[in-house]
Amino acid sequence: MNDSLLEIRDLHLEFHTFEGVAKVLAGVNLQLRRGEFLGLVGETGCGKSMTALAIPRLIPIPPGRITRGEVIFEGKDLLQLNDKGIESFRARELGYVFQDPVTNLNPMFSIREQLIDAVVYQSDANGRKPAGQRRRPASSRQKRRDAFQRSIELLHMVGIPDADRRIHDYPHQFSGGMRQRVLIAMALAGEPKLLIADEPTTALDVTIQAQILRLIQELGRKMGLSVLLITHNLGVVAKICDRVAVMYSGRVIETAPVRDLFNQPLHPYTQGLLKALPHAQSERGGLEGIPGHIPDLISPPAGCRFHPRCAHVMDHCREVVPPVSRKTAEHHVFCHLFDETEEYGHAR
Amino acid sequence: MPDDAILEVRGLKVSFPIRGGLLNRKIGEFKAVDDVSFRIPRGKTFGLVGESGSGKTTIGKSVLRLIQPSAGSIEFNGIQLTDLNARQLRKIRSQMQMIYQAPAASLNRRMTIGQIVGEALWLHKGLRGEARQKRAAELLREVGLQNEHFYRYPHEFSGGQQQRVGIARALAVQPELLILDEPTSALDVSVQAQILNLLQRLQDEYALSYMFISHDLGLVRYMCDEIGLLYLGKLVEVAGSDTIFERPKHPYTQALISAIPEPDPDLQREEIILKGEISELSDLPGCPFASRCHAEKMSKCETHLPPLLLTDENHHVACHLHPGTVSHAS
Repeated sequence: MNDSLLEIRDLHLEFHTFEGVAKVLAGVNLQLRRGEFLGLVGETGCGKSMTALAIPRLIPIPPGRITRGEVIFEGKDLLQLNDKGIESFRARELGYVFQDPVTNLNPMFSIREQLIDAVVYQSDANGRKPAGQRRRPASSRQKRRDAFQRSIELLHMVGIPDADRRIHDYPHQFSGGMRQRVLIAMALAGEPKLLIADEPTTALDVTIQAQILRLIQELGRKMGLSVLLITHNLGVVAKICDRVAVMYSGRVIETAPVRDLFNQPLHPYTQGLLKALPHAQSERGGLEGIPGHIPDLISPPAGCRFHPRCAHVMDHCREVVPPVSRKTAEHHVFCHLFDETEEYGHAR
Repeated sequence: MPDDAILEVRGLKVSFPIRGGLLNRKIGEFKAVDDVSFRIPRGKTFGLVGESGSGKTTIGKSVLRLIQPSAGSIEFNGIQLTDLNARQLRKIRSQMQMIYQAPAASLNRRMTIGQIVGEALWLHKGLRGEARQKRAAELLREVGLQNEHFYRYPHEFSGGQQQRVGIARALAVQPELLILDEPTSALDVSVQAQILNLLQRLQDEYALSYMFISHDLGLVRYMCDEIGLLYLGKLVEVAGSDTIFERPKHPYTQALISAIPEPDPDLQREEIILKGEISELSDLPGCPFASRCHAEKMSKCETHLPPLLLTDENHHVACHLHPGTVSHAS
């Protein structure tokens, strides 16, 4: 079964700081299949955004440094591409939606200008004209005129009412939800294969969040997108993702189909996260936090980085980074409790 | 009065002037809170829920009179707060405290946490010297911090620990009512659970009453006995926590509950996706929610503001679809 669109293998990322070298990613393994919605979840500082930024090589180097690993997109290692190659990947294959719709639109330019820029950039890279078939290369003015039509279509597509009038407005005239729709339109302008959405609804109210999630879901299915959805909200994952990967301190520690993860979490950290969430049946005092706090990335704990907070910690956990254990073909966990070698493993 | 209320708010209005023009004259008024009434029984938790801009923080601050209400009455332990002068107010404020959303911003970064907690003890309790030190250390232990933390500065702590310091500082004055303004929204879930547990333990130990302000309905259900839902500065539904979730009546409440992303992939339910967004500054006469409402609308929805009425026992709804009777709370 090789329907993988994107595969991250053993990715290591460091940041050089005054206090020392922060080991931000320490062996991330992740696979995104064609047409699926993959949720990447974890708490603050676990490296989920860094993983996503590393895909189109948007990590500032220096201070960042990728010390090991591969990012394979359709058989090519993105980390080995030259500047032109990665530029073309960003323009043609990738849409990226960020968390904060306010800072990601330029307040000095109208939505029209910003959208046209996005359309022209992506269609140039695609080597096709935005609309119609022209024999001679279109003039830059003609290109922008065509792009204008396409921009209005895009705004319609993301559900902005009255798009042919609103396109002339400036970002401050749009609400948060509407701005996020504009950013989704920009991300999808070049009809990419891959959409990375980094906390796309975190800054929004819950009723608007529902609208935006519905939009991403519908457009994703319609355009056959593969979506990497980064979030700290497990509810959002349960709602729209097919599979989920849980990160803790620079590593993916469990991946599973959504239903399996929620019904049968294996990693003690995943179990802890789910127990910490208040839901309809929680009794008073029934929430369990996870004791302690997230480890320091400059001198992280040896072995499994979760071991200082883990209730099931064994001697082995303090020394050896747990390898993958395949509980089922689809459900993978990185924890010594599930070691496949019988030496240390014991089933729960 | 059926039972002992620690706080009773009646007809609270807060409006802010809109200024404009050459001379910066007042050209209008923004009604942040419009005719809000509720009561908090002693030892209970009352939740105020709403989306951004619905006025929940403004209500919290006007209860402490950090914001001056334009109209209405606020009765705390039977004392009318709106009539008090600054000196009387300071006395009362030692009985109610606020805990803020951003723990880092609410702590003075040039003071050690021992000083932060000690300052409250000195100002409100007049404690000095060793007595103050001892009591501050006690309070820090109470919220789960250690003695060694006493001389450290806020930036040395994680968000969860900073929030614990905020709670210790609030407890220093031995308050009866705590106003918790999104106390965990800056925290990760595993830490959030620790703070929620701490708040519940303290409530049981010291018989505290809480006003819990949040946009997170799941959290509010877990923490609160009674919930009030705000929409554009007006209460649209007030009822017991379980009633709100099991039998929501107002179309806005129904939509809000259906929009919570529940961490349960097997959950099957009909999701109500609201049209549009919160309209600001609407001076239209009808129901503020009418333009987004998914329920069958009546002609008077656009023209008459529905009052908050008692429809069932302890269940108040402001919607023309649910006629009720006028009750003590409105």
